[in-house]
Amino acid sequence: MLGVDVGGTFTDVVSVRDGRIEVAKVPSDPATPAAPVIEGARRLGVEGRPVFNHASTMGLNAVITRRLPKIGFLTTEGHRDMLTMGTVWRPLDAQTDAGWRRSFGDAARPLVPRYLRRGVTERLLPDGSVLTPLDEEQARRQLAVLARCRVEGVAICLLNAYVDATHEKRLRELAREVLGELPISLSSETSPLAKEYARASTTVVDVLMKLVYADYATELDRELRDLGFAGELNFADCAATLLPWEAALEQPFRIVVAGPAAGTVSCARLAETLADGNLICCDVGGTSTDVSLVRDFRPIVSNTFELEHDLVINALSTEVRSVGAGGGSIVSISATGDVLVGPASAGADPGPACYGRGGDAPTLTDACLLMGLLDPDGFAGGALRLDVELARAAFEALDTPLPLAQRVSFAYRIAAANVAEEVIDIAIRHGVDPRDFSLVAYGAAGPMLLPATLELLHVKRIVVPPHPGLFSAVGLLSADLVYSDSRSAYVVLGPGTAGTVAAVFEEMEERLRRRVGADRDDVEIRRSFDGRLYGQSWETPFVAVPEGPIDEETIPELVERFHDEYERRFGNRFPMLPVQGVTYRVQLVVPTDKVEYARLEPRDASTAPRRTLELRYLADEPLHAAEHERETLSSGSRVEGPAVIREALSTTFVYPGQVATVGGVGELVIERTAGAD
Amino acid sequence: MHAFPRPEEEYLAVERAPVAGTCPECGGGNLAEYPVLGEGGWWNVRKCQDCLASLERERGPLFGVYVPLGLEILRGAGG
Repeated sequence: MLGVDVGGTFTDVVSVRDGRIEVAKVPSDPATPAAPVIEGARRLGVEGRPVFNHASTMGLNAVITRRLPKIGFLTTEGHRDMLTMGTVWRPLDAQTDAGWRRSFGDAARPLVPRYLRRGVTERLLPDGSVLTPLDEEQARRQLAVLARCRVEGVAICLLNAYVDATHEKRLRELAREVLGELPISLSSETSPLAKEYARASTTVVDVLMKLVYADYATELDRELRDLGFAGELNFADCAATLLPWEAALEQPFRIVVAGPAAGTVSCARLAETLADGNLICCDVGGTSTDVSLVRDFRPIVSNTFELEHDLVINALSTEVRSVGAGGGSIVSISATGDVLVGPASAGADPGPACYGRGGDAPTLTDACLLMGLLDPDGFAGGALRLDVELARAAFEALDTPLPLAQRVSFAYRIAAANVAEEVIDIAIRHGVDPRDFSLVAYGAAGPMLLPATLELLHVKRIVVPPHPGLFSAVGLLSADLVYSDSRSAYVVLGPGTAGTVAAVFEEMEERLRRRVGADRDDVEIRRSFDGRLYGQSWETPFVAVPEGPIDEETIPELVERFHDEYERRFGNRFPMLPVQGVTYRVQLVVPTDKVEYARLEPRDASTAPRRTLELRYLADEPLHAAEHERETLSSGSRVEGPAVIREALSTTFVYPGQVATVGGVGELVIERTAGAD
Repeated sequence: MHAFPRPEEEYLAVERAPVAGTCPECGGGNLAEYPVLGEGGWWNVRKCQDCLASLERERGPLFGVYVPLGLEILRGAGG
């Protein structure tokens, strides 16, 4: 299996063959984005591979930087500024401030300039009846303007079109007549859900992603075939589930963000392997730490996400939150003399001071080097030699009366505290107790920093997976192939409404089965709906729908399940109030090959340390820590802290008072020793 | 007492002064300059009348074309 994670700086191609993981790291190239992917694939070899799974931040970067193709936006006359207004979110302190202006989202940097947002005379009512017929002559005049402005694509989102798509479809025909064959996205096909702003922004992003990805994906597929690849090219979406690339390009808004969720999916796979279903996932990268949860063996998924503040996308996405604490996070002194870590980062260029590439700001990596945790000659598999004196000079240059030992020690501890705080925030947000969860430490710097949080969080244990530096990329090889669809229909669940709900689900299931292949009987169908108590203006998402046909006997069960889910989320139950179904979702999960963690055979391996290190600044006196090579440890090996366990792309630090035990698949399980406090 | 006659026009609009040039967005030659009232107050704009692309946009007077009486007096006093 092959997976590729196209980042802004590097393109990581990961190979898993016979349980052996290899990686090719190639600099990304925005001018020819397919080239680094092909180069990485060529290095690792593509022949005989069944799948090539792809995740990219290319679309996200295009939106964030607004390096976007020129598109038009057609909507019901009088509503073209819905993109600017967003969700009409306003901060509390600006509620009564008439002078407050939105400094974010489309208002500040439009995805579609206002003159290319054109109103069309038509109006549907919420029940689908026509209030104002589509004025085709007026629509042609608006399309003629878009033609003169040479737009490359068109997004069409009319009010209430999720109920009846007739006007949108006719507008598409007119657009084809006037503009010719160019990408067009209809809201009724892209995201046929209630609430026009999210539907509009999703449709706009969809047509932009069609333009960003269409040529790229075609070229990638062709060049991979030329290299001898005969398997499936799949694209990962915002929840890191996979789709064949042609299917992904039918609704490319789903692939606008794909990278961050891969680590969570990797954790979910690890959860199955370890039979430990509740995990806190912490990916410590160069700039930030991404935190997410796996609960009952599944990542927590949201029904919408914000691409940037108040720019809403109607896509299922894994909930990942970031805190500015990574290996490159810059250590600074506040105006009041406090030691701060992040959120500014030295990034990859110039990088931490110890890289010797011109960076003079001290970073968390510099702190770990000065503490003795990092091996200056063995960093990143020996690819880069770290300069201890440059790290020391950077810390000494800080404007603070604190001695060097405290500058370094505080930097390390504050970084760990920042991550711990974020973990607690997320746990509280989801109503879970960290003491019931294991924390998975990955990302190159994760195993070095996160064991320190065991002292702060009191999670059950810290788990360092095999290959922690590549763990996110491996997630692309742990994901499900999922076809999904969703529809909105406001239906009060009660006697006589079963037929309406059943019809919505059956229509979606039939369409998805046609896409997957009607003869397949090995797919798993997952159904859910978003509902609300009658009168509410917001929904409770993902109420599970039982298997089998939906009839009059099923409806009371749907209502009961809604109340159960409502009570689980909000702590209250209102069984006397009617329940209204709003959005209905279907997922078809197709079985795929996934990474299998090879079990380690217990062997008579020595746990004798390679040498003893002196760790500085953690206590008043230097600590003497055993240094181990991870590959020499076998299942059941125990390493008592303080200890440092090295591998090619990562270093694990076992704190004093902790013990690391090697598990069945080579994972390191770090726990507090009995009596440690 | 002043008499304020009812306007005779069906729609009231500011005068748009035609200017020479070509719209870089749609290629049209129908450009005009005029004040508009947007979310951020009054602006003096140069816009293409065919596609409404804004070619130039400068902040206008606080009250647009209306000059408050006191301001006229102050201007007069200043010469």
